[in-house]
Amino acid sequence: MFEPDEELIGRVVRQLRRPVTVDAGLDARVMEQVRRLPPRRAGGAAHAAWGWLTRPRTVPFLPLGALTVAAVFVAVVLWRPDRPSRPASMSEFGFVVVAPRATTVSLVGDFNDWDAARTPMQRVRKDESVWTAVIPLTPGRYRYAFLVDGVRWLADPAAPAARDDEYGAPSSVVTVGGS
Amino acid sequence: MGIERVGTSDVEAVRRVLGGDTDAYATLVARYRDRLARYAVHMLGNREDAEEALQDAFVRAYRSLERCDDAARFGAWLYGILVNRCRTTGARAAKRGRVFVRDEAALNGVAHASAAEQTEGEDVVRWALGRLTTEYREAFLLKHVEDLEYEEMARLTGASVSALKMRVKRAREQLQAILREAERV
Repeated sequence: MFEPDEELIGRVVRQLRRPVTVDAGLDARVMEQVRRLPPRRAGGAAHAAWGWLTRPRTVPFLPLGALTVAAVFVAVVLWRPDRPSRPASMSEFGFVVVAPRATTVSLVGDFNDWDAARTPMQRVRKDESVWTAVIPLTPGRYRYAFLVDGVRWLADPAAPAARDDEYGAPSSVVTVGGS
Repeated sequence: MGIERVGTSDVEAVRRVLGGDTDAYATLVARYRDRLARYAVHMLGNREDAEEALQDAFVRAYRSLERCDDAARFGAWLYGILVNRCRTTGARAAKRGRVFVRDEAALNGVAHASAAEQTEGEDVVRWALGRLTTEYREAFLLKHVEDLEYEEMARLTGASVSALKMRVKRAREQLQAILREAERV
């Protein structure tokens, strides 16, 4: 004789809720790995600035203005051959975004710990609406985004969207193949 | 219940880590390890993959801690990272042909409530869970085992509340069917 469905699911849930322990060395491995990362710059100012930059706000919305801005954001990723001074596996990538009204644009991604201060983009002189940044990348998969005027996150419309973005902001993916 | 059990201690630990005190992160790892491990082990079906996903989630969270804009909800934020890591690890495991294999060692540390309910019953439950699709298993575990609200699940998974309700319902139906079938054999 079968138990009612609710009892059956209840039994399953009770079993699955029991504690599960993993290797006690996991904590040490995590800490060993994070200690090998570049040290954080101490000081709450950077964190405070980051919080200010990324905090959601209510802003005046002008549909025509938003459409204009959206229409001009076009980005491409340009590949450039390795420079002789780089390791063989490292290639330089040029990131380009069109943002005519922007005051500042930063390239942020897995390659710079999403730090807006580390890769500021530069205007291209002959066309001031175009911003670029060139960075070396080793083979791998990187998520990235553009941070415009410190407040607007933009995924790259010319690149695949990051489907596994766990942080809640739009981002794109570039995959660098090995040589 | 939910996953926001954190209080000022999480806020303080996050503040210290962001201030350059790397060792403070050990507090957060120790605090969340076991609970996250339960989800990862059930989601991935074996301890090796679960530990890989868990370690990766902790390291990614450390690297991106500036993006946790509400330290009081560090646990929920970390959970979201783990959910994604489990998806990635699970997909990779599926590609190499190891899909939800049994791993007795994963249950070595389990505190058994009663002898009658352990061993065979647990094996059957885990086997049945492993026959669900990734989406159904994820939804079932988050709703019924981790006891999350649908709104929180939607934030973690990126799926809509209605889609998640459907997945949980289907998961329950399939689990029942699988277990009923097992009882007949």
